[in-house]
Amino acid sequence: MSDARSSLDPRAWLLWGMAASLVPLLGRNPFALTATLLAVVAVRAAWVPAAAGVVSGAGLVRLAMLFAAVGVVFNALTVHVGDRELARLPDRWPIVGGALTLNAVAYGVLSGVALVILVLVGTTLSVVLDLASLLRLVPARLAPVAVAGSVAVAFAPQTATALREIREAQAARGHRPRGARDLVPLLVPLLTGGLERAVTTAEALEARGFGATLGAGPAARWRWRGPVAAFGLAATVSGVFAAITGQATAGLLAIGGGVGLVGVAARDRRGRAAFRRTRYREAQWSKRDTALALASVATALALLRVRATDPGAVAWEPYPALTVPQTSLPLLAGLLLLLAPVLLAPPAGSDR
Amino acid sequence: MTATAPPGAFSLDGVTYRYPDRPDPVLRRVDWAVAEGAFVVVAGPSGSGKSTLLRCLNGLVPHFSGGRFGGRVAVGGDDTRTRATHDLGHRVGFVFQDPEAQLVTGRVEDEIAFGLEQRGVPAPTMRQRVEEMLDLLGIAPLRDRDPATLSGGERQRVAVAAALAVQPAILVLDEPTSQLDPWGAEDVLAALTRLNEDLGLTVVLAEHRLERVVAHADRLRVLSADAPALDGFPRAIMAEMHVDALPPLAALGRRLGWNPLPLTINEGRAVVRADPRVLPPPPTDPSPPGGAPTVVLRRVTAGYGRRPVLRALELEARPGELVALMGRNGSGKTTLLRAVMGFHRPDGGRISVLGRDTARLHPADLARDIGYLPQQPGTLLFAQTLREELAFTLKHHGGKGRDPEEVLRQLGLGRAADRNPRDLSGGERERAALAAVLVGAPRVLLLDEPTRGMDYARKRELGALLDALRRAGATILMATHDVELVAQIATRVVLLGNGGVVADGGPRAILSGSLTFSPQVNKLYGGGYLTLADVVGETATA
Repeated sequence: MSDARSSLDPRAWLLWGMAASLVPLLGRNPFALTATLLAVVAVRAAWVPAAAGVVSGAGLVRLAMLFAAVGVVFNALTVHVGDRELARLPDRWPIVGGALTLNAVAYGVLSGVALVILVLVGTTLSVVLDLASLLRLVPARLAPVAVAGSVAVAFAPQTATALREIREAQAARGHRPRGARDLVPLLVPLLTGGLERAVTTAEALEARGFGATLGAGPAARWRWRGPVAAFGLAATVSGVFAAITGQATAGLLAIGGGVGLVGVAARDRRGRAAFRRTRYREAQWSKRDTALALASVATALALLRVRATDPGAVAWEPYPALTVPQTSLPLLAGLLLLLAPVLLAPPAGSDR
Repeated sequence: MTATAPPGAFSLDGVTYRYPDRPDPVLRRVDWAVAEGAFVVVAGPSGSGKSTLLRCLNGLVPHFSGGRFGGRVAVGGDDTRTRATHDLGHRVGFVFQDPEAQLVTGRVEDEIAFGLEQRGVPAPTMRQRVEEMLDLLGIAPLRDRDPATLSGGERQRVAVAAALAVQPAILVLDEPTSQLDPWGAEDVLAALTRLNEDLGLTVVLAEHRLERVVAHADRLRVLSADAPALDGFPRAIMAEMHVDALPPLAALGRRLGWNPLPLTINEGRAVVRADPRVLPPPPTDPSPPGGAPTVVLRRVTAGYGRRPVLRALELEARPGELVALMGRNGSGKTTLLRAVMGFHRPDGGRISVLGRDTARLHPADLARDIGYLPQQPGTLLFAQTLREELAFTLKHHGGKGRDPEEVLRQLGLGRAADRNPRDLSGGERERAALAAVLVGAPRVLLLDEPTRGMDYARKRELGALLDALRRAGATILMATHDVELVAQIATRVVLLGNGGVVADGGPRAILSGSLTFSPQVNKLYGGGYLTLADVVGETATA
């Protein structure tokens, strides 16, 4: 199998994913959305191999485009606000009756684009991110949670395979599902088989030493480690919220302080000694990862800065009157940095 | 008897165990002690408690399964009642029947390292152990692969490597070769033997196919649901076992009164050289039946993504033929059967069944004439009783088919008609799925590894049933690694390799002299002798 997993660190990719998701989450400015969409499409083209057999999420993207199209029609039919009337449905028609406006269509299209960008970012990350590497980033003390997550993720394709096998087996007995009642032959073996597989997996995990007690025990841990970590996490989340809502300086300070506290808690050596689970692979942070991380952080900072000083460059409202959207060169320059993975992509044909 | 054992081995003292939902105990007052460094094979018919016994050794019984447990299991000085299974992991490595369900990561290397990570083994040691395991099991080329993309045999070897990586004192394996081709099985067994001999690893292995494993064992324990277990040196135990439960070589020795009983082909050859009997000429392969072919594959190409599995494959099968599809794991046997059934659309070529192009029909329509038994029989079963399962098939065949009671009786399931199929044992479930297929009286039958997990007696019954169906005019395509079954019932053998047909002919023409696919009797006598009946049935004394 061609390995589509990335040679870049998953932390750097996560930063890129967050930066690329900010524009569709924060506003509907057509210029910003278009620039982001183009950047994400370019990254996807550079990193997601076209090889058949690679789960690229293309079906999910098509589904998102379908939802986006449905969203446009739904918005146009149900929102009757705006100064550019295209047509009018009889007022007596419930819900859809009233003016069909260009404003509603424009907002529907932009919302659809935002949805497609988010799905493209998600499906791209799902291909380039090595899940195992990602789970190794989880602190050692949370290793059981990480393994449980890993098993759950591994379960998804197994369930999909089981569903296919059951459908085939039932078809081989002449059964072709037509209604809700016909789901029984499908669901019963799927559930019982899934349960049996879950039990076997749990037995296998147990037999392979998962959850074995090796450490010095809770008594050796720093008693304030948990509260400090929790406070740091809360400060980080609050900082992100403050930054998004326009209080950039306070937000960045809170993020910095919060990350620092989480780091202090994570580096507590006594806590580390309490669980001696080791790791086969340690993440290797390279200069390329630094480049991607810096580019992503710069994009996010530029976006937050522009949003604080020039909100119209990120957020754009087609209601009540359709106006020409603003544009911001610093923002577009910042969004250009989203193309960093394209420059960092390995040559075509090489093993990623 | 109270069993005692040297340090590092294990002992069971008066172990009795009953599952929570069963009225009767599976194990009754079992006393068993195994010395350090032994290679033990546990055999016995389906439902005799082999898996349960094995699960006692690492505490899965009773910690995980619940139920009522009495007696004591001691492993390296630890009482399994007081130690959790995960804390016994470094003493007892365990390989389950289904390798798919026990692999939990997305990469082969990580899978092997998983147990080491849980034990806190330092990274440099881990890397060394992983490399050793990759080489030992011959899976180094698979190191970066996702286990989900591997064949059954490859997955089984990864599971064995993962269990061995923690260097347990005891390795317990529940039918580890059931999904492997002869090469894969021999690789795994050779690795186990090497570990047993060189490192003193104690190996406990449950297996139906004794012909594969008994030569490696220095001890054999045969369980029975209604009699005390036999336990001792393999040669002595096989001299006591019922002849129908023996592999062909031992059965031949028993029938011909050879003493001592040979366990390996070399031992058997030595006896044959000294045996004055003159054998009649071996039977010849049956003539190919006439009539129009029922299954036709013309230049069929099929694969997964860019990986071709079948390349311009040509094959025909006629009524009255039982065609055994053989070849190594991943050679395309399952893909071929799925393509015939219409589940796998070929990239090129044409498949027709009973004159109809399968590409133009839904598999549910093809099912009126084709019976298909997949590798995972549990996927077929969903009804509350076995009788309802068969009624479901008949309903979708417009009520036409065979008498359900007769089908159940033929498959030894007459008493299970009102049981829930999901409560049946593995071997019974396999036969239940087969019953659900056969009741539709298919004219073409596709079987994917139908004898997996079956004991000798059930295999013989299945062979007789398939032979009767073939004689009645059915066309049967059977993908299998079971050389002995093929020798007994196949009328034709098709060897697959490199995406195409490597060899095609009668079983005597193909299996005789084959390095990997010849049955035990043929290895002994050569020529066209394949089965016990070829030799014993017509043996004359000089």
